[in-house]
Amino acid sequence: MTRNDPIKHFFIWPALIIVLLISIFPLVYSLTTSFMSMRLVPPMPARFVGFGNYADLLSNPRFWHVAGTTTLIAFLSVGLQYVIGLSVALALNSRVPGEGIFRVGFLLPMLVAPVAVALVARQILNPTMGPLNEFMSAFGFPNLPFLTQTSWALGSIIVVEVWQWTPFVILMLLAGLQTLPDDVYEAAALENATPWQQFRDITFPMLLPISTAVVFIRLIESYKIMDTVFVMTGGGPGVSTETLTLFAYQEGFKKFNLGYTSALSFLFLIFITVIGLVYLAVLKPYLEKHK
Amino acid sequence: MSVRTLQGKGRWLALGGCLVWLAFTLFPLYWVAITSFKTPIAVVGGPTYLPFVDFEPTLTAWNELLSGERGAFYNTFIASLIVSLSAAVLATFIGAMAAYALVRFTFRFRLLSALFFVLVAFGGFLLGRNVLGFGQGISLIYSFIAALALAVISSRFRLPGPELGNNDIVFWFVSQRMFPPIVAAFALYLMYTEVGKLGFKLVDSYIGLTFAYVAFSLPIVIWLMRDFFEALPIEVEEAAMVDNVPSWRIFFGIVMPMSKPGLIATFMITLAFVWNEFLFALFLTSSKWQTLPILVAGQNSQRGDEWWSISAAALVAIIPMMVMAGILSRLMRSGLLLGAIK
Repeated sequence: MTRNDPIKHFFIWPALIIVLLISIFPLVYSLTTSFMSMRLVPPMPARFVGFGNYADLLSNPRFWHVAGTTTLIAFLSVGLQYVIGLSVALALNSRVPGEGIFRVGFLLPMLVAPVAVALVARQILNPTMGPLNEFMSAFGFPNLPFLTQTSWALGSIIVVEVWQWTPFVILMLLAGLQTLPDDVYEAAALENATPWQQFRDITFPMLLPISTAVVFIRLIESYKIMDTVFVMTGGGPGVSTETLTLFAYQEGFKKFNLGYTSALSFLFLIFITVIGLVYLAVLKPYLEKHK
Repeated sequence: MSVRTLQGKGRWLALGGCLVWLAFTLFPLYWVAITSFKTPIAVVGGPTYLPFVDFEPTLTAWNELLSGERGAFYNTFIASLIVSLSAAVLATFIGAMAAYALVRFTFRFRLLSALFFVLVAFGGFLLGRNVLGFGQGISLIYSFIAALALAVISSRFRLPGPELGNNDIVFWFVSQRMFPPIVAAFALYLMYTEVGKLGFKLVDSYIGLTFAYVAFSLPIVIWLMRDFFEALPIEVEEAAMVDNVPSWRIFFGIVMPMSKPGLIATFMITLAFVWNEFLFALFLTSSKWQTLPILVAGQNSQRGDEWWSISAAALVAIIPMMVMAGILSRLMRSGLLLGAIK
């Protein structure tokens, strides 16, 4: 399918140069510091420690706890986002009444700054002054610890993530649905296929490439979750809702332990790369089957 | 009526679901809107829902914000607008070109060339900085140019080792998004400071911030646009090629118009990402090019939980994006024609 033409270089090089320029220095810098013991406050001369930072981290139970929390938040919220997003996109694509209003309304959360979202979430989840408290009190559950008890706090963070990022899934899947050709559906209608059969055998398989891409992007981005958690719970109660990026922030910019933070970033990178590769490898046979 | 339109019971079920989701989506936004018109006493007194019925609205929070009492509001707003619009336009455009190239053209290179690049870039940088005693900035520039030149030249020869293709390039682009932003932002700040010492001011400048945002948006743009371009039927392009239309005209004249929904969706995502981005703005700007999320966050840290002023500041960050969403979703509907192929 692909062709060869010297003009291809003109198309790809601008993007390649820009990304190379901006990614190579952070990579070089943090890889070298990750093998050093380096503190800014109190200032300590950089000292080569080899894999010391990595070994420290891997034997630190807090690291494993943080990785687990982040994984839980990422997988649960992305799973919910995909299920809800796909249902909504299907409804919008089949011309639900009032579709125009929904289409604009559904996009809004994605456009709000995560910092602002977290601040608003804190108002709504406030255990005494917030509207959700009043709502739950009406059902006989006053003053629920939305942000101060681990399981409630994790749930709140996941709900906020779902609120904010389902629109992204809706937007992408809707755009994908619109590019599906009509003739397949006409043929299916002639064969009297039920809506469920049409979904299972036509829509879902044809949507699989874009679904894969959307879930992949959301997973990667969710692993980097920071602003929301930082504002909503600050990682608390204790460190029970702390995520990987927040942990890196605490080590790097509260304790100015740069070597440790860099090592953490690389472990994080390896972690996400492994998850990404496994995810793509698991889906590959399905993607190729439906090509 | 399209074949895909739902009939009967399913239609009402879908409508019900959509209404529930809409309520869930809109309530928090409604809540910020009314809170920004409340007095401090009304906020602390417990939840109230309807202006004029439940509570008496005031403009105090808005007056404070717009008069600049809580930070240089107009400057911040304009800076946010300029940076995010230009970064989103550039990233969508450059990214779409790259994505198209990755879908329709063949790229081949040896893994060894890529390794050369990484090794020379790393080694050259360390050599320049630690042994030859150049500054970080200079050694970075030299090693980058040398590495790029060597990689390009070496790819002309038949090197041994595995061969990489288009998918590997795409994966490389996307993997750039995997790096934890904290360290990337900090390292970028260091790099900008080093370049600043050479005479190009990048910290707290338009070019520096926009460039960073373009670079960090590109992977997503490429990943998304690739899927849209792959879904396009190749027949039109093949017909154009038979007529000897040059590739750049196929791209700008046929492919771009045909993928308008995808381009608009991608543009909007990029715009929202840049407009709302917090961490890079925090590290790379200090005063002149500070963006809105920093201002919003500042409302909280400076004065504590003053919900009314936080809400007003948050709304200023939200409203322009809402207007943009309205306009773009309109465009997306009208651009929804793949009529050219049928």
